[in-house]
Amino acid sequence: MGVVTNKMKYRLIINDQTRSLDVSPGEGDSLEIAWTGEDPKEVLFHSIGEGRLFLVVDGKAVEAFVADGSDGKHIFVNGKTFLVRDADKQPRRKRSGSKVEIPEQVTPPMPSVVVRILVEVGDRVKRGKGLVVVSAMKMETTLVAPYDGTVTRINTDLDAKVAPGDILVDLEKEGPADE
Amino acid sequence: MFKKILIANRGEIAVRIMRTCREMGIRTVAVYSDADTTALHVLEADEAIHIGPSEPSASYLNMEQIIHAAQESGAEAIHPGYGFLAENPAFAALVESTGLSFIGPPSPVIRDLGDKTKARKIMQAAGVPVIPGTMQATTDTDAICGEADHMEFPLLIKAAAGGGGKGMRTVKGPKDMQEACVSAISEADKAFGNGAVYLEKFLQNPRHIEFQILADQQGHVVHLFERECSIQRRHQKIIEETPSPVLTPALREKMAQSAISAATAARYVNAGTVEFLFEPPDRFYFLEVNTRLQVEHPITEMITGLDLVRHQIEIAAGNPLPFEQTDVSSRGHAMECRIYAEDPAAQFFPCPGPVLFYQEPQGPGIRVDGGIYQGFQVPVEYDPILSKLVVWAEDREAAMNRMIRALEKYPILGIQTTVPFLLDLIQSEPFKQGETHTDFIDKHFQQWAPGEQRQDLAAIAYVVDTLTRRLVSRDSREPRGIPSPWETLGEWEL
Repeated sequence: MGVVTNKMKYRLIINDQTRSLDVSPGEGDSLEIAWTGEDPKEVLFHSIGEGRLFLVVDGKAVEAFVADGSDGKHIFVNGKTFLVRDADKQPRRKRSGSKVEIPEQVTPPMPSVVVRILVEVGDRVKRGKGLVVVSAMKMETTLVAPYDGTVTRINTDLDAKVAPGDILVDLEKEGPADE
Repeated sequence: MFKKILIANRGEIAVRIMRTCREMGIRTVAVYSDADTTALHVLEADEAIHIGPSEPSASYLNMEQIIHAAQESGAEAIHPGYGFLAENPAFAALVESTGLSFIGPPSPVIRDLGDKTKARKIMQAAGVPVIPGTMQATTDTDAICGEADHMEFPLLIKAAAGGGGKGMRTVKGPKDMQEACVSAISEADKAFGNGAVYLEKFLQNPRHIEFQILADQQGHVVHLFERECSIQRRHQKIIEETPSPVLTPALREKMAQSAISAATAARYVNAGTVEFLFEPPDRFYFLEVNTRLQVEHPITEMITGLDLVRHQIEIAAGNPLPFEQTDVSSRGHAMECRIYAEDPAAQFFPCPGPVLFYQEPQGPGIRVDGGIYQGFQVPVEYDPILSKLVVWAEDREAAMNRMIRALEKYPILGIQTTVPFLLDLIQSEPFKQGETHTDFIDKHFQQWAPGEQRQDLAAIAYVVDTLTRRLVSRDSREPRGIPSPWETLGEWEL
């Protein structure tokens, strides 16, 4: 086995949170891992092949599963899944807001098919009004107006296959917001 | 007995049916759409026939194509699974008329029980308690509002052809009636081509308890105990268990007798499920009969030791039930978690995509009815169910602990699944206490998020994975395992 010689610092984005940790080599297949500012933990590890890791952390056996995705490492430990990325290797990107907010653009959250178009060009709509209904995996989702405005263009058709990022309806924002 | 059966379905249920067929020495024929060319049910079947494009209406709902595939392959019977054409009386009738056997009830039974008001009348006549309400469905809003004047609010408007919550409205007071009626009728008309609706009393926070029945062509009917299916999201079950944590032996017997009366009154044949709404402490009402195999049938198989698919096939072949009610007993406790490709942190939004890693849990008392594999691309066109994780143990507490262990060892990577959510749900105090009602998820898990537990382990796994891969690639003169074609291709340019 090769040897890991230097102490390494990692900044990881786990799901949406950034955390820092120090890693230094131990004896044999072991590591010492510490969250910055905390006491190190001894970790014994054994990798039996792509994706399966057997770890002993603080004397407890843990099996972890790892797969490389286009967006980072997908990790499953004890029933929970995580998307983990190295913060120092990430292009800076603005994170989207909380999920309960209405997205600023009328675009499907996942690949889907347009099943109903509820507005026409020229319609004035209130924030929250349904504009287009899309269907994916038997579930229908209504895409709603992100703000009060007027429909200036409809960029899709019934039965069209659409994907996140496709702007299905152009809305012109109405005058000064009332909030 | 049949020598060859066509399975008119896909995914985990098609695979589950094929397993029994193989054990019975029956050859299997799969049908598949463009999206499913390499789906597990296609790979596991003895033969597979392409029936059309990915859209369900052009393939898995295309009756003529499916019948044609059965005739072409020489299959003698068709098993519809659940969903798609399973409860479509026109399909059952078409199968019957071509001289094939339909593995399910006769088409007139499916037709009668699919009409909610007709089913209510049949049950009322047989002395099975139905939810108080109207017995006649109509599209006349004035007539419905008139009926509502004689009823207590809140009440429920339901579609006669209903299912999946379509055409259903809860109405809080008389002033909301008119509008709710109009929208329910229009929704039902769009969904089922039949806008007729009727009224039912609205039950506050009921439990959903159903009884499995088996009936042969000779007129014998047995029940195989209950399933508690109260935990639902979007009116669809997500966890089921048996026995129900609330039924006393006396109440179980009473409900079972009602289920048998219901099946007998409907002239039921094959496997079916009589669904009841249960109001504590001891009131229950007939809800509907599902004229097919249920998603959650494995928990009944676990506690009774019976293979329901085997008995469905035997019954369809004309064989009498080989046992009587007194021969059937229930042992231990079984639980099922439905594993969906959905994001539980975002209102259970479907998440199709590639499965990067997949491994099923193992060990005593664990059963997985799976329909996917590592490398499979979960298609966007169909129901997002990936598999059913079922456990059996001596009692409820042991079953919960076993389910926790199984979920902890069920890695599915690349797509979001319900596994992390189900794990939190099973470990929650209300679930442990058996407080399972139909509003369980809204009440206790409205704003579920993955949480921070085990983040440290994920970080450790990330670091170890990164380092060990580096070590392996540095040690390239000793490749581990079988070299991939990429390593052995040599100088070929791609």
